[in-house]
Amino acid sequence: MADMSRFADIRIDDSIVKRAARGDVRAYEIIYRAFATPVYSLCLRFTKVPAHAEDLAQETFIEMMRSIAKFRGEAALGSWIRRIAVTKSLMFLRSAWTNRSRSFADDWDEMTPGDALSHGISRHPDDALDLDAALDSLPVVSRTVVWLHDVEGFTHKEIAKLMGKTESFSKSQLSRAYQRMKPLLEVKDEALEAAELRSC
Amino acid sequence: MGGDRKEEEMIYGLTADERDALHEGLNSLPDTPPPRMLWERIREQAEAEGLLKKRRDFRSWYAGAGLAAAVVMAVMMIPQQPPVTQPDSGTTYVTPDATAAQDPASGLQQWMIRSAQLEQNLRALPETSVVRAGTAATIIELEDRIAAIDYQLSDPDARLTPAETEIFWRERVRLMESLVQLRYAQAQRTSM
Repeated sequence: MADMSRFADIRIDDSIVKRAARGDVRAYEIIYRAFATPVYSLCLRFTKVPAHAEDLAQETFIEMMRSIAKFRGEAALGSWIRRIAVTKSLMFLRSAWTNRSRSFADDWDEMTPGDALSHGISRHPDDALDLDAALDSLPVVSRTVVWLHDVEGFTHKEIAKLMGKTESFSKSQLSRAYQRMKPLLEVKDEALEAAELRSC
Repeated sequence: MGGDRKEEEMIYGLTADERDALHEGLNSLPDTPPPRMLWERIREQAEAEGLLKKRRDFRSWYAGAGLAAAVVMAVMMIPQQPPVTQPDSGTTYVTPDATAAQDPASGLQQWMIRSAQLEQNLRALPETSVVRAGTAATIIELEDRIAAIDYQLSDPDARLTPAETEIFWRERVRLMESLVQLRYAQAQRTSM
């Protein structure tokens, strides 16, 4: 799948990366300013809690500083930083689940039927908040899989490896999430049809 | 391809158009910027872990190097001062202005004075914390080039000729002017 992530649009000059590898604080700051928003957004998307997202973004950039001397530029810097952010976020989710003595495998059982609808899919089809709220209403593992697959462009194989699960698990989570969000798309279709009829 | 899409439709329960619409919607969701103080937190932790290379504050660093270079220059220029002759010796009294017109060292002095003025201007600008990535990269580049020139000017082993020294000072002024302009624009953006 093509990389549709926000990270892919950000380019950092090689000379800045080399300065960062030497511990240059200004170079670090340039990289931080460039990637702070996508990193924080990703962490917030996974955790939904701003304080957790801040901690994870901080850990991501500290890890970047610790490891950038080993960065060989084989992948884009953005992909590398995104990988760190994803790994940190998944480790956090895993540990949170472990701490609560629950399984990271599947949290669909906690959902009550119609949760997604009640959490925000309104009858206002043009409102991006609907999709945002629908995504937020998904169980955390499923939401993570949707984001990694559909926004960050990870394959099921990559997601499975990151989560320590199988490809089937990833596909199954995605399928269930889509089913949950499908009413939103149907509402949009209906609205489009109605708009087309009105324009005739 | 068509077969793959059909298979995907069966697995995911969405038509290709529905999936496209969903992808588009998800990728259009807005990003959320982090709180402003996050960089300070990161910087503090990085400092505590020793991840930052000790770098002296640029303004004091290059000002110090510039001063050292100026001292070296003053020493170099002493033998080049035109001989001061007495009026009764029959030779013309050389005024400072006349010296400026005739002595190549005066050009050098002008560059040094201009450089000192620019340093003052730079120090008078407020420190800004919000830096655009492109601007910051340019500023770093300029600062490093000025620092390299200062290193040359203050290195006693460099043995620069007066002409070479003047070239360095002229280049230093040119870089300083660019730096002041950038910092000024940056300060204006921050204040808006």
